[in-house]
Amino acid sequence: MAVFKHAYKGYDGPLTPAWSRFLVLPRYAFEEMSRKRFYTMFFLVSMLAPLIFALIVYIEHNLSALKMLQIRDLVPIDPRFFMNFLGWQSMMAFFLAAFVGPGQISPDLANNALPLYLARPFSRVEYVLGKLSVLLILMSIMTWIPGLLLFILQASLEGNGWLTQNLRIAGAIFFGAWIWILLLSLLALALSAWVKWKPMAGGLLFGVFFVAAGFSGAINAILRTQWGNLLNLSHLIGAVWASMFEQPMHRGTGAVFFRVHGEETPIWCCWLALLAICGFCLYLLSRKIRGAEVVR
Amino acid sequence: MSEPRIVFDNVSRFYGEVLGVNRVNLAIQPGITSLVGPNGSGKTTLMNLMTGLIRPSRGTINVLGIPPTRPEELFRKMGYCTQFDAFPRGLTGYQFIYSFLLVHGMIESEAAKLTDEALQRVSMTEAADRPVAAYSKGMRQRIKLAQAIAHRPTVLVLDEPLNGLDPMARNETIALFKQFGDEGRHVIVSSHILHEVDRISDQVILLSHGYVVAEGQIQGVRSEVKDQPMQILVRCDKPGLLASRLFERDNVVEAKVNDDGRGLLVRTRDADNLYLLLNRIVLDNGLEVEAVAPADDDVNSVYQYLIGAEGGTT
Repeated sequence: MAVFKHAYKGYDGPLTPAWSRFLVLPRYAFEEMSRKRFYTMFFLVSMLAPLIFALIVYIEHNLSALKMLQIRDLVPIDPRFFMNFLGWQSMMAFFLAAFVGPGQISPDLANNALPLYLARPFSRVEYVLGKLSVLLILMSIMTWIPGLLLFILQASLEGNGWLTQNLRIAGAIFFGAWIWILLLSLLALALSAWVKWKPMAGGLLFGVFFVAAGFSGAINAILRTQWGNLLNLSHLIGAVWASMFEQPMHRGTGAVFFRVHGEETPIWCCWLALLAICGFCLYLLSRKIRGAEVVR
Repeated sequence: MSEPRIVFDNVSRFYGEVLGVNRVNLAIQPGITSLVGPNGSGKTTLMNLMTGLIRPSRGTINVLGIPPTRPEELFRKMGYCTQFDAFPRGLTGYQFIYSFLLVHGMIESEAAKLTDEALQRVSMTEAADRPVAAYSKGMRQRIKLAQAIAHRPTVLVLDEPLNGLDPMARNETIALFKQFGDEGRHVIVSSHILHEVDRISDQVILLSHGYVVAEGQIQGVRSEVKDQPMQILVRCDKPGLLASRLFERDNVVEAKVNDDGRGLLVRTRDADNLYLLLNRIVLDNGLEVEAVAPADDDVNSVYQYLIGAEGGTT
């Protein structure tokens, strides 16, 4: 057997904490996105609604502004107001997911780049978390962060214990937005992992939302049931939000995207259906995110 | 202290009903080890198993005392370069290495230092700021190699690393492998280019249909192939006389005089005896011998004997 002189020195320098390594992925994703004008424009446009809502809150508390506009009461600042805000911003987040989501995993799969990530001290879970965080961060900036800022603005202008009396609204904004952006991110990533052609993956996200809604309506009509609603993401999210904001379901929850149609479905069924969809997306991801492609 | 070997203990991997590798038992020593075999013989499967990218259906693997189920420890010591072009979109050569060092857990200043070091080692410093997509095949191979060595691994697993390299880059890369091997690192290389495998390897592993057909130093492997007589080339002034003397013995199967009349190719079942006999004949007959050398103890011959031409390798 040959004798070798161990002349090399392995790396023994400092390391970053293992939990933070997944953040390298969004860093490069944001760098790439910032080079595309469309994303920047879309992101700026999506911030218009929070500005308008903030303006409404401000005017509502400004007597001279109300006098000048010759109106007594602009819009009641109540849970429905915040739910409308969340609905609108969540719709914008949906479009963002359809644009950005398909480009997350499919290029790595098409370019055989997964072994590059996974042949490191970097797990499949961290990879998914890294890709997920791209969407979660972007959609957070569009949904619950401005939502909570709006809530704080209203609380500071209203005073007199409004904050403590309406703390539930803040919780509903935060958790309601998280449910939606998590579901959307998982759906977008799962489609990105299975459909390599980006426009097709983006189109399919719309398909899941709209076609499934149509399909669920058809099931309800043909079978004279309400259980078709469990396939309708709009219905599921709308129902969950309505319960969180303590609003009647049929009044419509936020933007037109999230209206609850037909008979009400038990809320626990809606939660269960949302969990099942998230679980299915994770299963789809686990099938595709592998260090080496298994060809049978 | 951890075991400085890569050990496969009765490892099998099946893809459903398709065999990847079967009952592999190996103990790979430091130095350059080449995996040789036709397409589909299990080379890449073996590499993927070693790196933990796939799990064995049966058996255990140990890389320097670390099982591939502990990637946090394993990949500190291992660098992997796949045979396919694998580049995230839109990165320059520098960003490609640097970003994966960050994924590896290096802090930014260290990552920058290691990136420069790796780029220098593969002579890619000048092209580092160009997008990888604009690189030639050879440059892409080198930048892939750079990302595999950037974190200074002890074990390098390189799937077809010489593909697409021009002769100069190939020589530089081989020199780099030799340097790594001489430093006591493990360099596991799969290649179809057998004469280069011959040049660089300290040991070879021959694979066919998912089985390890032979392993070890190539001369040792050749001597174990008993059913194929050894070929020995003797350059001398009287090859005809030498041939007649040799045929007086049983173990010589064939002797063929070279066209130039100054050499004899002998096929024998017992090389050791032939060398002894040769000494005696030379002394008894006053032959002038220029050279005696084995003619078929290279990877190419061993490959042909053990695996045949099924792989169509060159």
